[in-house]
Order: sequence, then C-alpha cells, then structure tokens
Amino acid sequence: MPDIREHTALEIGQRLELRGQDSSSWIIVLVGDSSTGAKLEHFRDDIASVLQKPTRIFQIETKTFEELREELHNPGNDVAILVADDGLTAELWSSFDLMRGAIERAGPIVLWLSGNSIRHMTENAPNIRSYVGSSFFVVGPDGGFMTAEERAQRLTELIEHYGFGNEELIHRAQLKTLPPDPEIIEWLVLLGRGDLV
Amino acid sequence: MVDSVSSLTAGAARRSKFRAFMQAFNPTAPAQVAIEAGLICEDLHRSLYQNLGARADLEAGSLQLLVGGIGSGKTTELLLAVKWLREHADVLPLYIDITTETDLSGLNVGSLLASFGTHLSSRLQKAPNFARERKVELKETFQKIREFAFGRVERVWVSYDQDEGEPDFEDESTEEGYFTFQKLPGKLKPPLPALRRDLGQIVEPLKKLLEAARVYSKDVIVVLDGLDRLLVPEKFLAVAFQDFRVFRSLKVSVLSTAPISILYGVGNSVPEYFDRVQHVPALVAGPKDDLLRSVIQKRGGLNLMGVEEADSLCKFSGGVLRDLISLARDAAEEAYISGHQSITAEDTAKVVQQLGASYMRGLSPESIKALLAMEKSKEFDVSKPANIEFLVTRRVLEYSTNNFRPHPALLSAILAPEEPNA
Repeated sequence: MPDIREHTALEIGQRLELRGQDSSSWIIVLVGDSSTGAKLEHFRDDIASVLQKPTRIFQIETKTFEELREELHNPGNDVAILVADDGLTAELWSSFDLMRGAIERAGPIVLWLSGNSIRHMTENAPNIRSYVGSSFFVVGPDGGFMTAEERAQRLTELIEHYGFGNEELIHRAQLKTLPPDPEIIEWLVLLGRGDLV
Repeated sequence: MVDSVSSLTAGAARRSKFRAFMQAFNPTAPAQVAIEAGLICEDLHRSLYQNLGARADLEAGSLQLLVGGIGSGKTTELLLAVKWLREHADVLPLYIDITTETDLSGLNVGSLLASFGTHLSSRLQKAPNFARERKVELKETFQKIREFAFGRVERVWVSYDQDEGEPDFEDESTEEGYFTFQKLPGKLKPPLPALRRDLGQIVEPLKKLLEAARVYSKDVIVVLDGLDRLLVPEKFLAVAFQDFRVFRSLKVSVLSTAPISILYGVGNSVPEYFDRVQHVPALVAGPKDDLLRSVIQKRGGLNLMGVEEADSLCKFSGGVLRDLISLARDAAEEAYISGHQSITAEDTAKVVQQLGASYMRGLSPESIKALLAMEKSKEFDVSKPANIEFLVTRRVLEYSTNNFRPHPALLSAILAPEEPNA
C-alpha cells in the first residue's frame, strides 16, 4: 500500500484554516493508539491555537447518538474531535454512518482513529468515508507535535527565510502587516502566540 | 530579507485566490448552498430532475426511487427536482432529509408518515394565504400529528398491588392506588423501540391536512432524502414499504433515494414495488465526453489548474462527483501548503494517491486479488454479496448495467509499487 507521510498538528490546523471558518470539513487523523490522552490533548491545543476556535473532544462510545447530535450542534461552529476506540462495534459504526446527516455542522469534524478503527469505519461507514475523501492524515507516534529541539530548529528556519526575528514577528502581527502565509501562522503558534493569527 | 510590503500583497492575493477555490470546491457543503451559488451543472444526468418532477406532478401517488452510489449527486438531483416543481408546477413539494430528523437505525413503520405530517403541519401553519379560521379548525389535527410523531404523556392509574407490572390505563376505581404520568413514545424521538402502532392513527389526520393543503396548492409531493443510508435492501423495505403504500393511497407522490443494493442480488425484487427506479450512474471521464471537466469549469477550477491536471482529477475521480470535488479541493490544499502558485501535476498525484489509499484501507488480500482479477477479466457478477459490498463502498463503480470497474484511484493505489519503508 502506498504510504502516507506524517503530519504535525500544526500543518493539519493550517489546512483546516485554509478551508475557511465554516467549511463543514471532515478529516481523519490516524494515530497509533486512539486512547492516548496526552497526545490527544496536545493535538487539540495546537488545533485550537491555529484555528483560534474552541476545540472539544468527544468519546463516541460514551455518548448516545442523541447526546452526540445535541452537543455537536451546540455550538455547531467550533472544532469537534471525535475519538473512536478500537472497541466501537460494527453495529455502532453503522449507526453512526446513518446519523451522518444529523451531525453535519459548519465547524470541522476531526475523527481521531487508530488503524483498527479505520478498518471498522471503512467497512461499516461508507457514507462517512465518502465525506472524508482523501483528507486522511497520519500523526506520528509522538502525537504529531514537535520536540523542543525540533521547535527550535523550525524557528531558526523561519527566521532565516523571512529575514526578521521573533520580536519583530510579534510586533508586525500586532500591526497586522504580516503576509497571510501558513508558515507565519505556524511561526506564531510555535511562539505560543496563536492569539495573533 | 524579503520585501515585506510586496510579500504581503502577493501573499494576500495568493491566499485569496486559493480560498475562493476551496470555497467553490467544498465536497461537504450542503447541496442547497451549491445550487444557490450557481455551482451546479444541471444537465449532468440529462436533466433527470425534470423527469422525476414531471412524473410526480402528473401522476399523483406515484412512487419513484432514485438510486445511486454514495457521492453520485442524488441529493442535488432531488433538490433540483424540488426547485423545478416550485417553478413549473402548481404543487407543494416538501423536501425532508430524514437523517436529520430521527435516528435511522431506530426508524420504524410510520416514521416517514410522521415526519411528513409534521412538515406539512408546519408549512400550513406558516402559510400566509391560509385562513386563520382554517388553522384553528385544524388545531386538533395538528396535535394528533404531533403526538404520533413525538409521543404524548398520559395520566394512568397505578394500583398499590402492581409491583412491577404495567400501569392500568382503564380502571382506577376498584383498587387502592395513585395516579401517575407515563410517556408514550412517538415515531421520531430517538432512540426508538420497535413500535407496531396501527398506521390508521395517522391516516385520518393526514387526510384532513391534505384536503386543507389542496385548497391553496393543488397537490403535495414528498421528497425523501437519506433513505439510501439504509444500505441493506431488507432494511429499506422494512422501513419504507408500508409508509409508501399509505402515501400512494393518499395520492401523495413520493420521490425518494434508495440504496444501490436494491438493484442487485437479493434486493433486485424491490424495484417491482415502485413505479420507477432511476439509477444515477458514475459519470464517464473521457476525451469525447467532457461532462466531468464541465464540473471543474463551472466552479472556476481552471483558474488554478491546467487542463492536464483537471483531466487527471476527472479520470481518477472515477466519475464520482463528490470524489472529483474532494480531489480538486485537496489538490489546492497541497499546492498552497507546498508554496506553489497553482495546482501542479505533483499535487494531483499526491491527492490521488491519498484517495486511493483511503479506499484501500481495510481491504483484505483476497479482496485485492478479486479486484485485480475483475480488472483483468472485465467480468463482475453482481449477484455475489461480496461484489455488492464493493459497489456499496464505492470500490467498484457502475457506469451502466453491464459496465463495472474498480475505482481508478483505488486501482492506482493497488498497483503502486511498495514503499521501501512502508
């Protein structure tokens, strides 16, 4: 099978941001183990930072579909990360598939799934798979976020590319005179200043 | 150091161009939004919507099904039919996406009628040319419909002797006990138990509403979307059959989606119960037929990609409209993230590979072998359950009754050489 390269949470966030505020996007993020809390929370924080939107996490199997529908629409324009454990049965995936219309919303839906869950999803939820299309991202074993060393390296690359430093970046961001490049968003987020995006 | 002013201008222009493209190519945007934005090519399926609308208008009580694979454009055809009916016929078309109303997995006999009743009630109550006195007269009917759909609370007598038994609805006078209230579920509030309530309860109130509706608008046509999600023919029939018969008896024409599986295998007797079953096939991509390219052109896609890239996306979409729109959007995303000024062949190749990989995930080695054999022999037995599964999951596409092919993006992924570290 052709391999899919790994993405960072920042890049996934940039892609969602580019699609627009109310793009109704559905994407899948493939992770080694869908139940790992710290990675998931880190991913959520990065996505919230890039998109500057509240980002909520839902465990699909702990909700009735009525609860899920209600909560996903209140509000319906934030980012929703839906986590499915490997144990989500074929029947539940099938019911979830039937519910697709009821949970369609303006804000993006991120399905956070392990390899096993994706197998169950593709077998039992073809309507959801169709909405996802090729928006299929792989997050590395560390959850897709950078180590401190990788962050420092990336910051150096960005400074070299743009020819100005972190302080000037923040100053220009406050003056709103920065080009709207995805790399600029990434840079601000890496500095913990996603509020200036 | 880059010139910050020119960089800002160029960056903003580039971003604005890509964002406009992404908005035009949004595979998950509601179909109604795309229609209103003028992004739809109305003649893609030979103006099928006009035929559906005309039959529904001319033959009151006709039952028509629209069948097609996932993402083939069924909802768009239904909405175009509604628009056509509003513009060309003196009828009241009611579009209902049943999946947004109720949990389809709990859908039972009477649910479609209940949903229809609530929509018709709501439309009549809001109709400006519907006399106020008439609305008052129908108040009780509206209430009956509401109770049938959403249930009601009844006051019941519970005897002290009744430990775990059912409350007594009839007699509260002979034993000691107390009154309590019990919720009787309706047809639409999920999750639903499998109710077998007599459909007669809803028929009379519906007749009254239809009589009222016919005073100000000749006939009512119900357009039901979402029933194609019931992938198995038996489930579809169990939910739809009795309700559809009642619609026919009420002279309400029905246009409804249905799962593609009703055309094949055990499902192939289902069409006999309907007046017409219209198939929406995958579109053919080829040099002589530029229908698919017209989809890209209509949405302004050639502003950001060349004809070769457009043709590549058309080819690998397999003629599945949602896949085509999704591939175009994702190719633009790749181009933007990679710093390209427009979509390149490299971007299209990448998203085709990703789409193919997503179709390939979950396929067993036996299934892959079967797909390769099919591609080689060009033979496909639609009576086999495993092959129907291929059709339902869009791994195999149907171009006509005797022309089936593996999804080209999937085939390309299967045939791609193994990555050394994969």
